[in-house]
Amino acid sequence: MREEQRTALEHFLAARAGANEVRIHEARLLSGGAIQENWSLSATVTGGRHEGVLECVLRSDAPSAVAVSHSRAQEFALLQVAFRAGVTVPEPLWLGDASVFGRDFFVMRKAKGTASGYRLVKEPGLGGDREALTERLGEELARLHAIRPPVDGLSFLRTPTLPPALQCVKDSREFLDGHRAAFPALEWGLRWLEQHAPATPALVLTHRDFRTGNYMVDETGLTAVLDWEFAAWSDPLEDLGWFCARCWRFGQFDKEAGGIGSREALFRGYERVSGRRPEREAVSYWEVLAHVRWAVIALQQGERHVSGQEPSLELALTAHVVPELELEVLRMTGGRHA
Amino acid sequence: MRECPDGIALLVIAREVLRKELLPLLPGDKAYAALMVANAMGIAERQLRNGEGPQREEQQALADLLGTEGTLAELNREFAARIRRGDFDNDAEARRVLWESTVQRVRESAPKALAAYSPSAARHVLV
Repeated sequence: MREEQRTALEHFLAARAGANEVRIHEARLLSGGAIQENWSLSATVTGGRHEGVLECVLRSDAPSAVAVSHSRAQEFALLQVAFRAGVTVPEPLWLGDASVFGRDFFVMRKAKGTASGYRLVKEPGLGGDREALTERLGEELARLHAIRPPVDGLSFLRTPTLPPALQCVKDSREFLDGHRAAFPALEWGLRWLEQHAPATPALVLTHRDFRTGNYMVDETGLTAVLDWEFAAWSDPLEDLGWFCARCWRFGQFDKEAGGIGSREALFRGYERVSGRRPEREAVSYWEVLAHVRWAVIALQQGERHVSGQEPSLELALTAHVVPELELEVLRMTGGRHA
Repeated sequence: MRECPDGIALLVIAREVLRKELLPLLPGDKAYAALMVANAMGIAERQLRNGEGPQREEQQALADLLGTEGTLAELNREFAARIRRGDFDNDAEARRVLWESTVQRVRESAPKALAAYSPSAARHVLV
């Protein structure tokens, strides 16, 4: 972080916190985040209601971003709505613009622990009791899904004109039509999704990237659900399908809920808070959709490298997860020929 | 004539040095980058090893299925469009072609993923 950015940020934080002075003594760029840039800030606040040490995270746009993701201002509004609904998210503090930091950003309270999916599946001590953690994540989703449109502050969220499943089919096809190469196996999946699309009786607020790797845990359990940039009005089962999808189990395929626990625990937690028991078969439709949607996102990320816009080994390798996603799509939709 | 060892052999030995000698010495936050480098080298090596053979086989299988000629890219575009129109709903031959070409791409991009599928697919994995 450049010196003038730090100084501008100190003044910004002091004004918003109603403090006499804010001094940032540590600013560290956090790893991860192909779309955003996250800074861990440790600051001393003198005066005002945040008096003392303030541990927070500044989240700003990365140099280039995927077109479908929300702006920082929108993500801030989503965090506020989720926070008020009792979802465990980092408390959103203040929204700032490019005049302060050079790019739009917001500041949220720092959550403890780690979000690393690979660490989570390797270190059994992380996250406390795993079945309890899985159940808790089901409860979190149910709390989020209690939010129904319209909501003040979320008017930027598109209300789908089609049932959400068919909307995803349409959006994916539009992307594929504009892409350099065709992907027949994804088309196969999209055709199946079109033919089996469920009706969605009521739209709810969904996270749409609710998976292992996007929530933080410490030794005792969940500390925060992160990464709200894909949130939208959709079918509640979309989040459950995304969480259970085989591609998000980090190699722990027998732990069907996010590679960390049982599907039963997730559904139990969900039912306790929502009063609705997710049906396994209905969720499996959304697991197929999860693989197709992740493949499309992976193509978009790979394209950022291929186009020369943002050379990155991580983005380049993301394009290479597409074939295995397609294979799983074929298997799930009866396209297997061994 | 090119020198020996060729590109494949160089990638194999370079990857081994990276994994066995360098990786253990790297700080934790750089290990991931090294693993990505090893992964990328592996993909490049498998593509070189396979050459253009699998691409030609895929092209031939598609031409037979679709009853038309064209480049691999054109045939894939045509196949995709016809799947979308529903021309291949419940078509066992189309599914077979799709499965085979996808397995072949997984062999190059992520061969370990094949182990979970058919034994016949996994048998051809180059490790």
